[in-house]
Amino acid sequence: MNTPFKSVRLLVIGPAVAIAVATGCVASVGGGGRYDDSVDVSYGVGFYEPYGYDYGGWGPGYRVGPSRGGENRRDRAGRAYHAPQPSRRTPSIPTHSRPHR
Amino acid sequence: MTATPLRIRARWLGIGLSAALWAMPVPAAFAAPDQIPSVVETPTSEHHVGKMIWADLVTPDLEGAKRFYTALFGWTFRDVPTGPSTYAVASLDGRPVAGVLGRAARPDEHRQPAWLTFIAVSDVDAAKATAIGHGAKVLLEPKTFPSRGRQAVFADPDGAVFAVLASSRGDPADFLAAPGEWIWSSLLASDPNASAAFYQTLLGYDVYDLETEGGADHLILSTDDYARASVVTLPAGSHRHPHWLNFVRVLDTASAAAKVTALGGRVLVQPHLDRHGGMVAVVADPAGAPFGLMEWTDSDTKVEPK
Repeated sequence: MNTPFKSVRLLVIGPAVAIAVATGCVASVGGGGRYDDSVDVSYGVGFYEPYGYDYGGWGPGYRVGPSRGGENRRDRAGRAYHAPQPSRRTPSIPTHSRPHR
Repeated sequence: MTATPLRIRARWLGIGLSAALWAMPVPAAFAAPDQIPSVVETPTSEHHVGKMIWADLVTPDLEGAKRFYTALFGWTFRDVPTGPSTYAVASLDGRPVAGVLGRAARPDEHRQPAWLTFIAVSDVDAAKATAIGHGAKVLLEPKTFPSRGRQAVFADPDGAVFAVLASSRGDPADFLAAPGEWIWSSLLASDPNASAAFYQTLLGYDVYDLETEGGADHLILSTDDYARASVVTLPAGSHRHPHWLNFVRVLDTASAAAKVTALGGRVLVQPHLDRHGGMVAVVADPAGAPFGLMEWTDSDTKVEPK
């Protein structure tokens, strides 16, 4: 059919195809967004912490840091993970300094 | 049938619009994957599965974050266009240490800025399969950034959010963190025993159970015979959900915490002595993103808690 609609179709479809291809690129590049639909299109990370929560409960004896190495270990029953051999020394963090440049 | 002048004009208008769209400057979003930089200054052959090798922060005030972290730690920032937002890479003495993405929060968005912990893996897709198989959720599907590597974001079975990264240019080498660099990570978990088992399955950690006071667990996750992180009991009085918390090494925790306050941040947990004999504190930047401060002296000069 060769009617004036053909020209209209071309007018509409041409840019539409270009837009579709372009947005297709965004989708393939962006991915993600399943957790937070407002995540950044191109990089993907978003806000992950619920708002308004505060810290508390870090009382005396509450520790989070690394050991200096070789600390005594507990050998408790009911653990869900595999523990190293008792002879293995509790490790510390890397303590040698980076060479000077 | 001959085309009328109207049809010819319409056809060329359509073609012209199409060409104009194609000829438009390439939006930054298309170029972004190539521009997300590596986590190392120069390519390395180091691979340390289980090591915390990067942290990203999404904040509504990128410029404010830059000012804060520059003043606090001496970080310098380089902007990387990522389309609708700007991603700024923080460096210390030329070494990349973190990424900060500026993005406005929507009025109905009940989430706040938080540092996202990236842990090294060798195969992100294998990690995804293992994570899902052991109760984790995928929050962001694996995605490759050529210069950085392949990464994904998960929530562990306890709900703590973390990312995994298979760096395409190697991992940072194992040296003592310089002041201003990340030195430690802790997972505050509802059930450290179960969480340690999950991360051991996922990342192959050795798990050491340290003696504690008061019934709280303190487990050390280790690879390459180095302690990489701790898993500790989420305090009973805490109103937070399970989460990862990263610590930056400082020379003096008390003065650094005071500086946080002076720069518009908050002290969430006051400086106190921790297991290694150094002071730690938990603070938040002006936008509310929490992170830790930790002293680590070369020699153990402080009294280690019993």
